[in-house]
Amino acid sequence: MAILVRTLIMAVLLCAIILAVVLPAVIRLPDPGAALWTFIAGPLSAPRYFGNVLEYATPVLLTGLGAALMFRAGMFNIGVEGAFFLGAFLTAATIFTLPFGGWIAIPLALFVGALGGSLVCAIPGALKVRFDASELVTSLMFNFIALYVGLFLLNYFFRDPTAGALATARLPADVKLPRLIEGTRVHLGLVIALAICIVAGILLFTSRAGFRTRVVGANPGFAAHLGLNTGSILFRVQLLGGALAALGGGIELLGIYPRFSWPALPGQGWTGITVAILARNNPFLVIPAALFMSYLQTGGDLLARNYDVPSELVGLIQALVILGVSADYLMRNPALGRWLAARSTRRSGTEAPAP
Amino acid sequence: MTFENISKVYPNGTAALESVSFRIEPQVIHALCGENGAGKSTLMKILFGLEAPNSGRILLGGHEVSIRSPVAAASHGIGMVHQHFSLLPSMTVAENIALGNEPRRGPFVDRKAARERAAALAERYRLNVDPDAPVRTLSIAAQQKVEILKALSRKVSLLILDEPTAVLAPLESEELFERLLALRAAGLTIVFISHRLREVRQLADHVSVLRGGRVTLDAELAAVSDAEITSAVMGRRIAAAARREHNIAGKPRLEFEHVSVRSAAPGDTLADVSLSVHAGEILGIAGVDGSGQSGLTGLLSGRLVPEAGDIRFDGTSVAGATMRDLRRAGMAHLPADRFAAGGAATMSLAENITAEAEDIRAGAFIDLRKRDRRALDLLAEYNVKFRRADQPLKSLSGGNAQKVVAAREFATGPQIVIADQPTRGIDAGAAAMLHAKLRDFSDAGAAVLLISADLDEILVLSDTIVTLYAGRVSGVFRNAAEVTPEMLGPYMLGLAGAD
Repeated sequence: MAILVRTLIMAVLLCAIILAVVLPAVIRLPDPGAALWTFIAGPLSAPRYFGNVLEYATPVLLTGLGAALMFRAGMFNIGVEGAFFLGAFLTAATIFTLPFGGWIAIPLALFVGALGGSLVCAIPGALKVRFDASELVTSLMFNFIALYVGLFLLNYFFRDPTAGALATARLPADVKLPRLIEGTRVHLGLVIALAICIVAGILLFTSRAGFRTRVVGANPGFAAHLGLNTGSILFRVQLLGGALAALGGGIELLGIYPRFSWPALPGQGWTGITVAILARNNPFLVIPAALFMSYLQTGGDLLARNYDVPSELVGLIQALVILGVSADYLMRNPALGRWLAARSTRRSGTEAPAP
Repeated sequence: MTFENISKVYPNGTAALESVSFRIEPQVIHALCGENGAGKSTLMKILFGLEAPNSGRILLGGHEVSIRSPVAAASHGIGMVHQHFSLLPSMTVAENIALGNEPRRGPFVDRKAARERAAALAERYRLNVDPDAPVRTLSIAAQQKVEILKALSRKVSLLILDEPTAVLAPLESEELFERLLALRAAGLTIVFISHRLREVRQLADHVSVLRGGRVTLDAELAAVSDAEITSAVMGRRIAAAARREHNIAGKPRLEFEHVSVRSAAPGDTLADVSLSVHAGEILGIAGVDGSGQSGLTGLLSGRLVPEAGDIRFDGTSVAGATMRDLRRAGMAHLPADRFAAGGAATMSLAENITAEAEDIRAGAFIDLRKRDRRALDLLAEYNVKFRRADQPLKSLSGGNAQKVVAAREFATGPQIVIADQPTRGIDAGAAAMLHAKLRDFSDAGAAVLLISADLDEILVLSDTIVTLYAGRVSGVFRNAAEVTPEMLGPYMLGLAGAD
């Protein structure tokens, strides 16, 4: 926890330095100091802006948690983006397919969305376990499979012809998640997401299944020696991780959007991957990490809105910050370390230690 | 080539070579023998430019040379075929041979010339491999030929082969020997590193033996007897005093019946191995590294499945069983590599020492308080030097980490104990404690299979000693005072016993 706090403080400082150097160089601003202040203090300056932070954090908590669990088990599965998209779409599709409406449809639709969306992570997991196919490649591709399958179904089965763009019909008012804070769009999903992160953390560190997940991630050879079925554990964790990300999609849809209308991958999954890396794959630390990423996002929005700063530049700065804070972690990641070690022993070409 | 007083001390204080001197005459096959850790690999690494000696000189044709890299070694005409091949499986034989030394036409690789060069080399040295075949389609023996051709294509005059027969079947070895003799006739000098004295006898002109970083024998092969070579390799050991004498009356608990395993990894290969460990017995496996020990442990960890034969625990077949089944059947397995298989380096001592223990569970959860109490008990019982139970395993020394692994494995009250190099690299006190534990288990009626590269350990602990050579049982001894390392040596080196 202390490390994370230090990292985050360092990140903000880094951000400020980059901004201070880059902004005046790239564009002419009347008052660079004020722009900087907006970026750093803006998200905390009004309840509405802090509300934005919480809104952004809600889906990212779940995609971040999903990614963190999958990474923890030792797989670099990045299917959370596709799972998030498909989860949201299938939640909407379920609501329009169910013969009944009302609040009872909410858990049902979220469940179907989570289950369907989880395939985006589970299939690459199964391919890895069964055929040793690189989960990084397959899950990246499955994101796009999820996108186009979703868009196809949306276009041919769920499209509202009266809407101006590719979108479903309006979601009924009674399936919306209730708003929690007046004047913001903070909704019940935030509470659900926070609760799930805490429960996941408790399970990971105190349950037998959580212990096994950590053993498989820390050293698959040890897991095999203990007699654990590493393949089955890996697969189940990918299924769970995908389901959490997909649930995030459903919650985001029912909490914020009037209809499902995403024409492309929305990006909360990618942010979730960053959150997982920042949080060192620890479910508890996913909470501050997600809030931090949302804080950066909100600050960037305010900067783009109030000053003549292109939002691309804001995105660039965020990317630099993330690169900086994640570099250290990446170098310490056990799975990455093993990969690098395997490469270097192969390259040196001398006697590898006998197995 | 002459080595003069080569010494190498690693930064951790291990003296790998102490003042090693010998000559390699041109156009001979020079065998280099010695046990694991004797310094053979270090010497060859120095010769191949992968390590620098702390002192001493290498003379080549009368001139002192300094070999700082494999590229420099190649420029001096030194080529090496490693035990682990470094070929690209998806590329063809010709491409692999050309790699790093490609014939060019302008900025491009001249594939035709590369192909012709490979074909000509193969033809000239009668190492028949198809230059257009992708390496992944070749047998191990053919891949080895490609490695040799690759070295030959660099115009070598000194070719080093590191345990070339370890991966070959007997017939393939015969063919390799024929080719090596032909290469010698063609003017090459060959350094042949091997454990296998029978092969050395068959092939080499001259033999040098290293033991503990020193040259213990350097002679024309015709001038030395097998016994002299054996004692130079094994050394004179102090026969263990505290040998255990007790009668085993129990029933067989762990049996191997005509078990065969065929595998690309040489140490995994087993041929018709039969042995049985009785209740109350400690059976020690002696053999040079790679003689089939990892085949035995692979079968007893669910990693390997026997191609033929049967393995039984208390009469019930466990051939092809998973690790989980084996553990359920009452087996504990102390693995040779305590960090690769014995534990999770980044997880805490408490988690490592109680992993999968049944008595700390509370339904689907782990009772953390019970776990920590139990961990502290075990850490104390096994005399582990630690600060906190939540420090990571990797913060312990090798010996203390091994105690943690042993504490976990032994805590289940196992009926069948596999101990693979249980005391390698650990201090005498810890070793004595682990030895006492193994004795306790066998006294309580468990069957203990001890695999160790340390012959003294085998002699001190075992009731029965089985020697392995090239995947086969080459000798079975009831341990008694008259069994000595000198007696076991010929069986371990393939000079005596069943083929």
